[in-house]
Amino acid sequence: MCDHHNKLRSNNRDLQSIERQLDRREFFKKTSLGIGAIALSSLLNTEKVWSAVNPVANPSNSIGSFTRNKLGLPHHLPKAKRIVYLFQSGGPSQLDLFDYKPKLKDMFGQDLPDSIRAGQRLTGMSADQTAFPIAASTLNFKQYGESRAWVSDAMPYLSEVVDDLCFIKGMHTDAINHDPAITFFQTGSQQPGRPSIGSWISYGLGSDNNNLPTFISLVSKNGSGQPLYSRLWGNGFLPTEHQGVQFRSGKDPVLYLGDPENYDGDDRRQMLDYLKKLNGIAYDAYGDPEINARIAQYEMAYRMQTSVPEVTDTSDEPDYIFDLYGPDSRNPGTYAANCLMARKLLEKDVKFVQLYHQGWDQHGNCPGGVKYQSKNTDQGTAALIKDLKQRGMLEDTLVVWGGEFGRTVYSQGQLTNTNYGRDHHPKAFTMFMAGAGVKPGFTYGETDDFGYNIIKDPVHTHDFQATLLHLFGIDHERLTYKHQGRRFRLTDVHGDVVKDILT
Amino acid sequence: MDSSVPDFVLFLGRFHPLVVHLPIGFLFFAFVLELYGRWNKNPQLYMAIDLALLGGGISALVASVLGYMLSLSGDYDESTLDTHFWFGLATTLITFFAWGIRSGKLRIAQLNGLKPNMVALTLVVVLVSVTGHYGGNLTHGSDYLIKYAPFGRSEKVVLPPIAQLEEAAVYDYLVNPILESKCTSCHNSSKKKGGLSFQDTIAIKKGGKNGEAFIAGNVAKSEMIRRIMLDPHDEDFMPPEGKTPLTGEEKSILTFWIDNANADFRVKLADLETPEEITSIASTMLGLEDVTGKSGIPLPKVGLVKEEVIGNIVSAGFKVRELIFESGLYEVVLPPNFINSSNSDDLDGKLEMLLPMKDNIIWLSLKDNDVQDRHLKTIGQFVNLQKVELEKNPITDKGIAEIIGIQSITGLNLYQTKITASSLDNFLKMKGLKRVYVWGTAITEDEVARFAEKQNRPDIIMGM
Repeated sequence: MCDHHNKLRSNNRDLQSIERQLDRREFFKKTSLGIGAIALSSLLNTEKVWSAVNPVANPSNSIGSFTRNKLGLPHHLPKAKRIVYLFQSGGPSQLDLFDYKPKLKDMFGQDLPDSIRAGQRLTGMSADQTAFPIAASTLNFKQYGESRAWVSDAMPYLSEVVDDLCFIKGMHTDAINHDPAITFFQTGSQQPGRPSIGSWISYGLGSDNNNLPTFISLVSKNGSGQPLYSRLWGNGFLPTEHQGVQFRSGKDPVLYLGDPENYDGDDRRQMLDYLKKLNGIAYDAYGDPEINARIAQYEMAYRMQTSVPEVTDTSDEPDYIFDLYGPDSRNPGTYAANCLMARKLLEKDVKFVQLYHQGWDQHGNCPGGVKYQSKNTDQGTAALIKDLKQRGMLEDTLVVWGGEFGRTVYSQGQLTNTNYGRDHHPKAFTMFMAGAGVKPGFTYGETDDFGYNIIKDPVHTHDFQATLLHLFGIDHERLTYKHQGRRFRLTDVHGDVVKDILT
Repeated sequence: MDSSVPDFVLFLGRFHPLVVHLPIGFLFFAFVLELYGRWNKNPQLYMAIDLALLGGGISALVASVLGYMLSLSGDYDESTLDTHFWFGLATTLITFFAWGIRSGKLRIAQLNGLKPNMVALTLVVVLVSVTGHYGGNLTHGSDYLIKYAPFGRSEKVVLPPIAQLEEAAVYDYLVNPILESKCTSCHNSSKKKGGLSFQDTIAIKKGGKNGEAFIAGNVAKSEMIRRIMLDPHDEDFMPPEGKTPLTGEEKSILTFWIDNANADFRVKLADLETPEEITSIASTMLGLEDVTGKSGIPLPKVGLVKEEVIGNIVSAGFKVRELIFESGLYEVVLPPNFINSSNSDDLDGKLEMLLPMKDNIIWLSLKDNDVQDRHLKTIGQFVNLQKVELEKNPITDKGIAEIIGIQSITGLNLYQTKITASSLDNFLKMKGLKRVYVWGTAITEDEVARFAEKQNRPDIIMGM
């Protein structure tokens, strides 16, 4: 192969011989232009020229890759090695699932007192309502486990594992509409453009399995409701190889991994090596770290040709595992199937697996909607926790369940004895965590009798993010990336680690 | 003397570290030319030596004057400074002397036949080196040069490890490490910026030229606290621009020491009413696991592991990850299925390779790698293990008996192994053990239920 050259040359034979000469003019041009170019590029884009592409040294240098982290991480002993984040998109109704408010039954239909709402701005969907009638949940609540946690009838499977869960009932966030709120949760900013949590962790800690992406996202198929954008698992300004790789929901999670017809793939390695060389020349010429990211991605894709079919093949799972996750788990792309896939990915030491399930936006028909959503997710969530536990993986795997905000206690639209809707409510909602370093069978925080305001131990979105990084051994104030002249971090200038929920 | 020195003199003085490299270059080059001249007698070469010596002499003179100006700031240790001063002066004089002989302007009859040029130049080079060394010590501190030398590295005074947070002396264990990492590079006995040194307790009490560094029990009037709390853009902010500022936790510790501990150098945490925030920061600093000190085995204090040891282990197929940056504590993982029945003998050798860093490994995973009872004998020597994954291996109760001596293990994964209920009693002997995973073993629900009645036992986790 013609890989003897070390710079870009024309393919004209006559010119080639001239190009090989380095004359005086060429020398001056190269030196002066070269210095100028360096000066210019450093002016234009300092952090790109000098930034490290990957904090963990080049993976091909196997010694450096595991032992010394260029960013000086972890800052303290981690509790979590990996995480599965079960994002319930739309804003699940905490009042119909976990935050049991028995006193509301007596206040059914009464107007929400002004002292509770305290003039809070509402969304355009219920702001023009003349009344805000209190809607007690029509679902039944019971206490479960040794921890006596309240769970509604909508989640029968989850109620079996409450002693492994840590409920945070005093979550609150800044945003009241879906897209800013979900972007805020996943990237720490309501404006798009910042790296997602998974990208920060990939950037900070690198990979535990070089054959699979560090950060993988899975979206339940046939999702309806608020759209999800790839920026939720995007890398923002971090180098591109830290972005989450979305596995498609369906039979073929990653397209085009198979070889085309009549091609045996034998010379692919050779082709990639040459391509890498060409890209390396381009990198030497332009110094753009995105070229290195591209090289890394070609290599990752090559390794994924064998690793992905292996990890996504569930045919060797025994029947009792499918039974644990429920009948949906045999149907690729469903939430339950994605939960099973998540376990397999975590078993292969993928560091960050993010599931999304849409449809938790019950503006109308809230009781029916919550039951429907729960039916599709309850068994999968509970099965994943059980399965991780029996494999000993809950020891160092963090499980997170939650949406971007909660729902109002008052009914949006008409309130009847059996039906009501609920609007967005950012001031108080419930999430739960389980596993690595989080207190099992524990409830943190409390809301008032209306479930409207937090009266004890509030946890802000940034506090949650700080705690998540803390569990990975990262001080959220010290994992930064310089971009456009300032250092950015996931929690911006906010966030306190919630130490009370840590073991 | 400080206030009387005009700013302009200090401004010029700060060019000393810049200019001082000129004579070093000139004089070494003169010496090289002289050596070369022995072999290649070229008259033009001699002219060059003349010139280099003259240049060296003049620049040395300028450097000396600037150096004197810099010394007026009073920021440096006087005895080292004196030595540096006199050697610098001697270098300058001898250089002019050497130039005199070389250029023939100075003729001394007694020196005839003594190869005066070579002697003078050798002397000059030695003097330049000595002067430069003392100068370096002044700027960087006397331990700078050989701090990372491969030979005879003198370890710093190592504080004895403590098991209980309360035993920690506030100054020795908490305050001093902060001062050492953030302050002493400029405030030490040889480089006293602002006249202040944090080298030892006497020096700290003495304060600097702006008065005392702290007022015991009064944070508001303590200069060092005022400086670190300022806006980072403030002229007086410490550490100065370009150095790493103190973290919030470090500031809290210093404040706590001056306010609550009354800046006492001996007091222990046990003697004080310690707010939870300080307890939590202190346990993190001291590497005592669990921020509130309620649970957990303290992290072992271990040395660092040589790169080549890790290199060998990594090339044998292990994954090695440092769990806290530069702590010497590691997670070691052998990827599943690396060893199977066809190459099972390899595992003995691979585990042997881990022995040089056996105390440094606190998380170990050998799952699904055909680990047998005999291998656990080797693993029994890894006394600091905390989390051990041995699932999906053909190990039996006999193998478990080999590792019950490791009291620090908290989590032990044994699912799908060949152990039976007779190992349950062995788990009781492992005092730190909290959770054992036994799904897919011969252990039955009934046996676990009976075991659950025992005192001080780990949780036994079965299948769902």
